[in-house]
This record gives sequence, structure tokens and C-alpha cells, in this order.
Amino acid sequence: MESTRVEAETLFRLVEQLYGAVLAEAELEEVRKGVERIVEASSELRAVKLGNWDEPFTVFTPRRRRGK
Amino acid sequence: MNPVYASVREISEAIRTGETSPVDLAEVFIGRLREHGPKLNSVVTIMEGRALKEAKEAQREIREKGQGGPLHGIPYGVKDLIATRGAPTTWGAAPLKDQVFNHDATAVMRLRRGGAVLCAKLAMIELAGGMGYRQPYASFTGPCATPWSLKHWSGGSSSGSGSSVAAGLVPFALGSETWGSILSPANNCGVSGLRPTYGRVSRHGAMALSWTLDKLGPLCLTADDCGIVLEAVSGYDPRDTTTTRKRYKYKVEVDEFRLGVPKDALDETQEAVAGSFRESLRVLERFATVEEVEFPVFPYEAVTRTILNAEAASAFDEFTEEDLARGLTAPEDRYGPYARTILLARDYLKALRLRARMAEIAENVMSGYDAIVAPARKTAASPIDQEFRKVAPGTAKDVMGALGNGAGLPAISVPNGFSEEGLPTGIQFMGRAYDENRVLSVAVEYQRRTDWHRRHPPAFKA
Repeated sequence: MESTRVEAETLFRLVEQLYGAVLAEAELEEVRKGVERIVEASSELRAVKLGNWDEPFTVFTPRRRRGK
Repeated sequence: MNPVYASVREISEAIRTGETSPVDLAEVFIGRLREHGPKLNSVVTIMEGRALKEAKEAQREIREKGQGGPLHGIPYGVKDLIATRGAPTTWGAAPLKDQVFNHDATAVMRLRRGGAVLCAKLAMIELAGGMGYRQPYASFTGPCATPWSLKHWSGGSSSGSGSSVAAGLVPFALGSETWGSILSPANNCGVSGLRPTYGRVSRHGAMALSWTLDKLGPLCLTADDCGIVLEAVSGYDPRDTTTTRKRYKYKVEVDEFRLGVPKDALDETQEAVAGSFRESLRVLERFATVEEVEFPVFPYEAVTRTILNAEAASAFDEFTEEDLARGLTAPEDRYGPYARTILLARDYLKALRLRARMAEIAENVMSGYDAIVAPARKTAASPIDQEFRKVAPGTAKDVMGALGNGAGLPAISVPNGFSEEGLPTGIQFMGRAYDENRVLSVAVEYQRRTDWHRRHPPAFKA
């Protein structure tokens, strides 16, 4: 899909900007494939519709010391 | 009594009757770790001083107060991502080979409390595969072999835990699983490996790969031993707030079990794996109802993979920002962490929201069953010098792995046959959350009716 391809390319350019200096050409090619796989997985997730009330599974417990 | 290849339960009984002692046991297994560990690349550090000290203490306690429990005086090893005082904890990674913690992980403390004797830190895939490894050479200690063939891989990332138990170098070991890292070495090495419910065992002191997916669990010769070890290491820990307050007591339940087999369980499996599995089903049908089940279409892999990628990107931030990955052993691990740095927060959160739905799907499908049964892996051990993903390059999804780990469900892999090359195959039983006893009960009954777990690699005689 065109939008997926554009997103992958854009995100790859960001990785290249940030870390291109420490990666060889062949490694960057592998990183590009990795970015494409990540975007592909994200597209699968985005295709599933959720309700506004569907909360993420996260664990957070507010902390307060006893007696203070 | 020869303790090599004896189960934890049998060794414990031999200690009780005075046939052997903790110090004798420590000496026997340290000897085997020293002799055979290098052949397999399964051992990072032998902790002789600490082992003998703990063994002497156990011996004195048993003499003065009697045997405290089934692990009192039993030697063991831990995957080298579990913190231990008195030895480096390398996470399998060359840049961290001198990393030392001055505390024991909670699981190690609990085993010590139960009288077990820590003998060794065991080899693992570097950073538990967190950089996207593709081959057995992804460890600074070298590729770990299955004792059934030195030319084949032990599986990973709990490589040394599986290999060492299978070769009789320790009676049991602790490993960890984020996605497949206990079940894979159990399969490749022909041992029993239990992935507990998420939150059953404290992760305090263990390397984090993915905070909401990581689980510690035992690898043993028998399913029964896995239950014994799980009881010892499980329980609430204030230092890991994700641990459950539900107390775990190992108990084998006798029942008319109901088992479900996924419709696509044998898709793209090796012929030998499929053959072993069909034979296992015939055994299971003698004491359980076996029915076909189908999981609804859902992006299981995308959910679990996205969570893993996002959390690993954060957990190993310094590996990307300080370019520490450059010092890793496998070439693919040196660039592996960079792609996932662009994973968007909204996609991670979407995965966490879908995870709730995934857990619901698991409950809906599994509530009528004691366990879902499938081959532990689609192949037996792959050649040690090949990329394992190329050995079975099919397109079949790993729904059991993605759903099981994403929803935090317990599963055990036990040996169920051999390939034509003499490599073990495995069968997995996956249960509902906190149903370890159901899963273990089915596996114990399966092992009561088969002898695959009593076969040991001929090159590593007792």
C-alpha cells in the first residue's frame, strides 16, 4: 500500500538521520527492512477498530509514603 | 546412587535416605559442568566456591534439623541474565562480560531459602535475543549445542539451561522467556521447560528485555520437577510489582482432561515433528478428550511483536545511543536495535489495548479446555552453523507463541519423540492464566505413559 510505503520510507530517513553515521551501507539496508516490518505490523494493529473506552493494559500504581 | 539424570524428586529422596549428600552432589555436578560444559558451550561460569559453601550449609541443616523441602541440597544453574552475587552476570553479551551485581535475584534468593545449591551461570543468546538475532553464534560464549548432536543448536535464548539439563550437568536450571526462550531449548534439547503465567515469578534481578512479557521459569528432566521448582520460586515480591498475590502450590490433579488442538497445529511442521505429534495425540486420547479448536483471525503476532519491539527499544536505549551494540557477537545484533527506535507511541499503545482483547480471546477459546496442545516448535534442532529462520522459512504464524506470551499464559514443552537424525521433538501444553497445575498435570500424566523424558544423549553418559 502506498501510504505504508511512504510511512516506512519517512521513518527510515529519520533513523538514517539519527544513526546513519554509525551504520554501514549494508547495515542500513537491513535497518530499512526492519522499519518496513515494523510499519507493516503497525498497519495490522491500526486496522482493528477499538472503542474509546478500550484501555491499554498498563500497570501504574500511584505511590505515597506512609505517614507523610 | 548415581544422581546424573535422576529427577529432582529422586535425588531429594536419595538425600533423605542418606544415599547421597549435598556436598557429594555438588562435587559430581561441578565435575560434569567442568568436563562437558566446554564441549557444548553451555556454561559461562562455574561457581565452585559458592556451591560448596551452600552444599555444606545444606548438609549441616539437614543433619541438624532434617530435610527442609524437595530442593534442599539439590544443585542447579541459572541463565546468565539472572543476577547472582559472587559471579559476573553477562547477559550473554561481550560488552557486559565483566558486569557484576552485588545482590541475588529474588528467584535465586528463594531457591537458596529452599536449600538449593547454585553451581553455575549458564550460557544464553546475547541480550536474550533482544537485538533480533538469527543464528546460534549470537553469544560471546559461542554457539550452544544440543547434547544430542554437537552439530545442532540447543535452541535459545535459554540455551545453556536447556543444554546443561539435557546433558546431566545440573538436575535443573532457571531460564527466561519473552517469546519462545524456554520452550525452544526444551524442544531442541529434549527436556521439560515450563513458562509460567506472567507475574507468577518475580523478575527482580533479571535482565529486562520486555517488562510486560518477560517470565522466569524452570527447565528440568520432568514436568513433575518443573512443578517443584515453580513452587519454590513463585510468589509476590514487592520488588516486582507485577507479581501476583495468588499463592502457588504445586499439585498434580487427576481428572478427565479436555484438550484442544488448533486446526492449523501441523501447518508447515517438519515431517518428524508431525509424526511425533500424531503419536502423542494417540497417547493423550487414552486419558483425555481431544478436540479441534480454532483461534479467530486476529493480529496476534503484530500485537506481541510491537510490544516487544517498543519495550526492548527503551530497555536497551543505551545500546543504541552509546553504540554499545557494535561490541555484540552476531553481525545482525549490531544493527538490530536501530529500526525499532521509530516505533510510534500510538502503535505501542494500540498494541497494549489490543492485548486486552487478545487475553479475552484466549479466555473465550480456552475456557472449555485444560490445555491447548501443539508441537512445541515446527522443527527439531537446526544445524548449528545455519540461520535458524532459514531452516523453516514458511509463512505459518506462531499463534501459540504470540498469544501465549502476549496474554501471559503458562505453557510447558516436554519431549515426545525423535527426528530421523536422532534429534528430540517436543509437544507443548498451554493453559489458562494461573492454571499451571492443569498444564503440569496433563504433562505429568503424559510422561507417566511415555519414556521420552527418560532417554538421554548417548555422548554424555551418566
